[in-house]
Amino acid sequence: MERVSLRMLVLRVLVAALVVTLGARLYYLQVVDKQLARSASAQQTRQVILPAPRGNIVDDTGQPLADNQQSLVISVDRSVLAQQSDNGKAVLARLADVIHVPASQLKNEIRLCTRGVSKPCWTGSPVQPVPVATNATDAEVLRISEHREDFSGVDVQTLPVREYPQRGNSSHEVGYVGAVTQDEIDAAASEPGPGLHDEDTIGRSGLEKQYDAQLRGTDGIRTVSVDPTGAATGTVSTTAPKPGDTLVTSLDNNVESIAQKALQNELVSSRNTFDPKSGQNFAAPSGAVVVMDPDTGRVLALASYPTFDPNVFTGGISQSELAKLDSPSANTPMVSRAVQGQFAPGSTFKLSTASAITMDHQLGLDQKGQCPPSLQIGNQKKTNFDSESLPGDISLSEALAFSCDTFFYRYAIQAWNSDQKLVDNGKKPVEALQAMARAYGFGSAPGIDLPAGDQTSGAIVDRAFLKQQWEQNKQQYCTNAKQGYPNVSDPSRRAYLTEIAKENCTDGWRFTIGESADMAIGQGQTTVSPLQLATAYCALINGGTLYEPTIGKALVDPQGKVVQTIKPTVRRHVPVSQTVLNYIRNSLAFGNGGVSGETAFAGYPLNRFPMGGKTGTAQVFGKQDTSWFASWSRAGKQRYVVVGMVEQAGTGARAAAPMVRQVYQGMYGLGGPKAQPALPGAQMPSALPKIAPYANQVQSGEIVGSQPSASASPHGQAAGPPSGPPAITQTTRSRRASRYERRRRHG
Amino acid sequence: MVDLGRVITPPAIRSASRPLRGELPAWRRVDWILLLAALALALIGSLLVWSATKQRQLALGLDPEAYFKKHLLNLVIGAVLGTIIAVIDYRRLRTWAPAIYVAACFGLLAVLGIGSTINGAHSWIVLPAGFQIQPSEFAKFGLVVSMAMLLAERRERENRRVGADVPLVLLLAAIPMGLIMLQPDLGTVLVFVFTILGVLSVAGVSWKWIVALIMVGIIVVYAAVAFHILKSYQLDRFKAFTNPQGNSTAAYNVDQARIAIATGGLTGQGLFHGKQTQGRFVPEQQTDFVFSVAGEELGLVGAGGIVVLFAIMLWRALRIAGRSPDLFGKLAAVGVVSWLAFQTFVNIGMTLGIMPVTGLPLPFVSYGGSSMFADCMAIGLLQNIHMRTKIAPRR
Repeated sequence: MERVSLRMLVLRVLVAALVVTLGARLYYLQVVDKQLARSASAQQTRQVILPAPRGNIVDDTGQPLADNQQSLVISVDRSVLAQQSDNGKAVLARLADVIHVPASQLKNEIRLCTRGVSKPCWTGSPVQPVPVATNATDAEVLRISEHREDFSGVDVQTLPVREYPQRGNSSHEVGYVGAVTQDEIDAAASEPGPGLHDEDTIGRSGLEKQYDAQLRGTDGIRTVSVDPTGAATGTVSTTAPKPGDTLVTSLDNNVESIAQKALQNELVSSRNTFDPKSGQNFAAPSGAVVVMDPDTGRVLALASYPTFDPNVFTGGISQSELAKLDSPSANTPMVSRAVQGQFAPGSTFKLSTASAITMDHQLGLDQKGQCPPSLQIGNQKKTNFDSESLPGDISLSEALAFSCDTFFYRYAIQAWNSDQKLVDNGKKPVEALQAMARAYGFGSAPGIDLPAGDQTSGAIVDRAFLKQQWEQNKQQYCTNAKQGYPNVSDPSRRAYLTEIAKENCTDGWRFTIGESADMAIGQGQTTVSPLQLATAYCALINGGTLYEPTIGKALVDPQGKVVQTIKPTVRRHVPVSQTVLNYIRNSLAFGNGGVSGETAFAGYPLNRFPMGGKTGTAQVFGKQDTSWFASWSRAGKQRYVVVGMVEQAGTGARAAAPMVRQVYQGMYGLGGPKAQPALPGAQMPSALPKIAPYANQVQSGEIVGSQPSASASPHGQAAGPPSGPPAITQTTRSRRASRYERRRRHG
Repeated sequence: MVDLGRVITPPAIRSASRPLRGELPAWRRVDWILLLAALALALIGSLLVWSATKQRQLALGLDPEAYFKKHLLNLVIGAVLGTIIAVIDYRRLRTWAPAIYVAACFGLLAVLGIGSTINGAHSWIVLPAGFQIQPSEFAKFGLVVSMAMLLAERRERENRRVGADVPLVLLLAAIPMGLIMLQPDLGTVLVFVFTILGVLSVAGVSWKWIVALIMVGIIVVYAAVAFHILKSYQLDRFKAFTNPQGNSTAAYNVDQARIAIATGGLTGQGLFHGKQTQGRFVPEQQTDFVFSVAGEELGLVGAGGIVVLFAIMLWRALRIAGRSPDLFGKLAAVGVVSWLAFQTFVNIGMTLGIMPVTGLPLPFVSYGGSSMFADCMAIGLLQNIHMRTKIAPRR
């Protein structure tokens, strides 16, 4: 019996050991190890992203420049289909009939993109419903919602879709949005902040890009519980998306429309006008109008031609469509001539030169100079426009008003000579003309609140600039000089080009006296953008303050509360005395009929709206002249600066000045007895427009869904963010957007 | 083949029935702790089975309490069977052992002929009115009784060291085990192996035999795996155990069960409120993985409580074995202990991820008629032995 007892003991110990093992393991799994518990929530729930509606961009009166429209999106929940006995074949067949797509295509669209699966296929998450139709019609949605039992697994959602209601107006500045890339999602994930999701769009250019963080908002997340097949069984929690802030701009859509129209009218008219200099009609391929408030630095309009409709970007754009907007052969409509254009400014640049020579005491305001028809400069003879001249000694005022080039050449020659002496003595040149040009903001980005890549610096020519350029291009110059342009058929042109190439090859780095003269009158390699010129003229008018031109005025949160007021930044005060500024302004003031360009304003009510301006006619080798007019005007207490530019359209007085007149007439309502001013009382709105709280605006929601939380009725309240209007009632508006809408994500 | 004809009933039984424990009335002689532990397990089991099947039944538009009710019904039937086993003097039962053994073998033969295949094992005989019988469950009881009888018989009669008994016992067990292997039901075979080892050990068989048997067992299991005697799903279960990251069904089941248990924490998510259970993430949850329901919904308190109840049950069973006045009672009780202990450990261990998936039900808790009946009969047998043990001073 001893042996048996011992073995009973062993058995007891063994059984006890088994029990203890179970207990210990149980304790470990339930209390100690937290890893498994976490994986539970990961598999029991899925997160559905509720994209935050993007904030609107509005003009100074609250007119939308970018807003959202509801799009009815029909999507298919793969996991629900998978549960059906026929794998959803019948449902897909019915759905294909409703949305007029072949069933086979539908079947392909919803399969997962795995290796060996060719497009179309679904690139997203297996639990995310696959959108199969955007901009569904009410009739399609009703057919689905009235027969829910036949469409198990088919969801209908309203999604906000970006719309640009002003089409071609302000399109360069407003910019556009695009689908977010994986790289951007990854980058956002590594930074603090709300992060980005597959469903999101992101600003790609213009204000959409510049203010993207504020416009974007914060996506909501709906956590749904799922069964083992992945089908949603209920909503665990919903974090409503926080819509982005509304950007209020100082752009005025009415002024923008007028400016755009004036620009296009002038282009059409120029193209119908014969240019005796070139022997053919003006080409007038492009132009720009900039309207600014000189006292605040705010921008009212940035018209540019050619323009484009940013709605084409909504829902993705094909390569060929993009090429139409982007290629030089299509005249690059996506390049804003106002902000990104670089053109020789011609005589409008004399603002800077006049400032420089007076502040440099080379010319006293009471001193006079000469205006001969031509001047020998170095080995070149440089003439006035049409070899015009004024007899006797003239003042700077007359030189500015008449726009006498030879008057200014004298000072360019003096400046060059004294600088050259310094250079020859191994000293640093003063380059006073260039320094003044830089002070006026030329040669550097204007700092407008647009993406850095969307604004150009232009070029101010000096010794360092030429040296750098020459070192970059020397190779090419010398090669061209050697080969002699065999592809150019015209022998005289070929000879000319070869001669220049030879000169550039050896002496391209030299800042010649001729180049100094060209620079003084805004010719040669000197280039500016219309926006830069407008900013400089703002400084002339406001007493010398050079602003960073600013479009954004304020950011308003979804509750209608102003969260940020955007104040234009002062770049600097130009180093020009008030006396000199007044002198220049008075010299160019209209009223006596002696200022160049004034003829275009015959019959204009100068007594009510006093104004002045400077024409510019820039000669470009191989092209017709660029027409400029930089002007200012006063309406009561309000002052405006308007700069117009028309490429290849002749003199400033011929094309740009009449165009700018049309802009003023529209702004002030001078077009006729019945004409309404674009700006009521010719004044800019003094207060911010009232921005409606977001509840009344577009949001995403579910109309017909497999998720239990969503109402099955198409007239039900949209699930999701703050109680909104019944989603379907807004679909009449969505139709408007549909013309620009394309399939999202795939296709 | 064992010569059952040679088995002679011991003289003690033929004489007047021995008095039951002292002069106490029958109900006082029942091991109430054992009975209540088993009853508690069965009742907790009914709730867990209910919770595990509720959502599925609802989804199918069926009575969500159907499994709950059937589990209780099984318990009632089991109680009746257990009572019958308890009331018949175990020494009489001992004389019926050959018959019980033969019946068990016939049942196993029958299932091979007219049985149905469920979950890959050809283990069930489907009866009218929605009932089905799993003869291998009853075979466990048959094995315990017949093995105890064989060993007790030879020892008591010839009063000599056992040695030749071992081949006899193995031969006795080989027939039902072979039949079960044909189904195939590896889990039950392993229960047999463990039960045989337990009984032989306590019967005083030389250690060499025990070690040899364990070695042979390992070789057999290895051979079964290596030579593809097992079905693929059985192999998957083993692979799932050795490689939990695999993607077989078995690995998935174990994963889901472990996740369910892990989310239970200390106090659980509440009965009928386990996300994993109510979300129907754990397959076979009312049978093989019923313990995961307790783990998730009742937490460490509930699941640990179940382990404690099993510990109590096994403790009482061991106590009965230790106090049994005769070898048959002792060996029968040890057989029951080995059977229940092994099955409990393997079942719970499998949901906890420390044992391979073998498809063994958790005694009393898992849903299943035959298993419940067999477990009840086992408890009945223990009570039987207990009631007929003289109150002896504690050793």
